[in-house]
Amino acid sequence: MKKLELIKIVITVLLCALLVVPIILSNHSWPTQARDYLFDNARSDTGATNTVSAIYLGYRAMDTLGETLVLLVSVTGTMAILVKLGKEHSDEEATSFSLAPEKRPTNRLRTHLLETVASKLGPIVLLFGFYVMLYGHISPGGGFQGGVIVASAIVFLALGTEVKSKLTNTLVLSRIEALSFLVLILASISGVFFESGFFGNPIKSASSLSANFIILLNIIIGLKVGTSIAVMCIAMMGGSHDH
Amino acid sequence: MNMLLLSLILALGIYALLSRDLLHSVIALSAISMLSALLFTILRAPDVAITEAAVGAGVSTVIFVWAIRHTQRRDKEES
Repeated sequence: MKKLELIKIVITVLLCALLVVPIILSNHSWPTQARDYLFDNARSDTGATNTVSAIYLGYRAMDTLGETLVLLVSVTGTMAILVKLGKEHSDEEATSFSLAPEKRPTNRLRTHLLETVASKLGPIVLLFGFYVMLYGHISPGGGFQGGVIVASAIVFLALGTEVKSKLTNTLVLSRIEALSFLVLILASISGVFFESGFFGNPIKSASSLSANFIILLNIIIGLKVGTSIAVMCIAMMGGSHDH
Repeated sequence: MNMLLLSLILALGIYALLSRDLLHSVIALSAISMLSALLFTILRAPDVAITEAAVGAGVSTVIFVWAIRHTQRRDKEES
């Protein structure tokens, strides 16, 4: 039995080596054409200093729409499973994190340390998430990154505070999510009516800030990602139902 | 520095695989995410580093801990 496991491990390591070693040993230089094109033209084409933002919201915005759809479908599937689970074990839900202390039968997983740290850290992380989201065209970051940071801030607030606010109410969050996806589709279509094509910039000449469309898309995607992941995490911690 | 980080990541990955307690594995995975975020920062990919730190160390840990709470945490000891 032990020998069989050893043979399995050796075969796995050999297969990994077979995959990795040719990449390490090869002297072939990386392709440079796309890199040089982006280095020369990305800033003037899209107006974004951060070339990563210029690619995924300027040249390849179609892929971002697909990614957003994938996230929407996965969150919908998770919520469907969770809602069914909640109906079957409705009494088990009382063991959740996000209930008031006197309603919780087990305090084992939620301590004073967690409450203090999470409630103090939450607003700061929320602010940083919005910073990363709004300045995605200048500094590293963007809609998705900022959205995930906003989601973890909302999870912090849901863990740390006992006050039921609008920010940790899943009904409000899921409405923001649906609305921002609708606005994303509208923004992607709107370029068609201004002669710049699907996902083209309809307000290119209207403003002196040339990255305006990228900022708009960053805000929409950030709200979408942040609220959908926060809804999923809060529902998993058991605080899903109407506060 | 890179080799040190990579070998730490490898060691933590092996620990996460072999550990009998699933909660220890999740903490090791979270540490792997933090270390690889540091590695991405050194390799000048701050975008990827932000994503890795937020998703790997934050959200996925919450999801894993939730899954462990609803299942058996410890492996049965082999006799």
